[in-house]
Amino acid sequence: MASANKNGNSSKQPQQKGMRGLVIGMIVFVVAVGAAFAVISNQSIKSLKLPSSVSKADGYGITFNPTGSPKIDIWEDFQCPICDRFEGINGNYINQVIQAGHAKVVFHTMSFIGPESILAANAGACAANSGKFVQFHAAMYNNQPTTENSGKITNAWLTLIGAAAGISDPKFASCVNNGDYINWTKNIEADAAAKNVNATPTVFINGKEIDRNTQYMDAVAFKKALTDAGVK
Amino acid sequence: MLKSIAKFQVWISLLARLILGGVLIAAGALKAGNPAHAAMAVRAYQVLPVTFANILGYALPWVEMGAGLALVIGVAVKGAAIIGGGLMVVFIIAIAQAWARGLSIDCGCFGGGGAVAPGHTAYVQEILRDTGLSALAVYLFRFPHGKFGLDKAPQE
Repeated sequence: MASANKNGNSSKQPQQKGMRGLVIGMIVFVVAVGAAFAVISNQSIKSLKLPSSVSKADGYGITFNPTGSPKIDIWEDFQCPICDRFEGINGNYINQVIQAGHAKVVFHTMSFIGPESILAANAGACAANSGKFVQFHAAMYNNQPTTENSGKITNAWLTLIGAAAGISDPKFASCVNNGDYINWTKNIEADAAAKNVNATPTVFINGKEIDRNTQYMDAVAFKKALTDAGVK
Repeated sequence: MLKSIAKFQVWISLLARLILGGVLIAAGALKAGNPAHAAMAVRAYQVLPVTFANILGYALPWVEMGAGLALVIGVAVKGAAIIGGGLMVVFIIAIAQAWARGLSIDCGCFGGGGAVAPGHTAYVQEILRDTGLSALAVYLFRFPHGKFGLDKAPQE
């Protein structure tokens, strides 16, 4: 190609000009199709299979005590190491609040860290259907792999985590293996995107984020933030 | 232009094309594989309304890959340099404003992105890198013709 340019009448080479136009056209086409597909495929899916306890109004999150108040929204990713730290600091307290019915708690299991997060979030929804989300959630963080997307989180592994969490429901394994709620994870992402959630964990109390610098990784401050909002 | 310098120039242009183009392709490909995270990275700059930030996050990786591919192939180099250089200038402004406003974010330039813990930012390195890349874009705008490109040679 370069040598063709050297033979003097390079400006009048229809063949090369056609080739150049073709290549430019192909690049523009691929960019346009790729970008359009990316925008469309990341929107919320209107009709899809939802886990029990999930509603569009609550951002498709897994909901406990739907009529309780205040409302605590927690966005997390099962692969996120800071979420593991947050769980270690505040997990027991949150579970107590759920059990006592002292607040409505909504878990938004995001999957932006990668494909293994999608599998984990799907399994979390399956666990919710079997009535064991809280236990599964704790078991996931107790066994969180040290590296993200290392190949460790597979459906077989998630089924074992479910068993460790005490899930005996035979539907759990098939739900995990069939990826029943893979599409639902997209809606969680789309909702988080619309709500400007830019990190995990993110905690909203009654729709307002708590202070990232002081209230996340301090058990006393976190508890105070909740009690100040009316959690008994 | 002197012939000896011209000879030198086409190789520099090739090198500039490969570096800028390669970086754009890598940056685009790493983000295109995880659009949800790419959109999060754009939102974290807190400049655009959320809806626009998300659309930009989904679409931008493809524009980067397209401009990068054009540069590596050596087709429409001037236009691709304008897009690539323009993006770098936008990135520099976006990173600088995040820094000035005291946000703690990862630029999300090569995937990743979003809020990070205070003290885990790398604004200086990110701005320096993008400044270097925009300098390559300026060079390519001035001297688009390089070795092994599809664009036709300038009249001498």
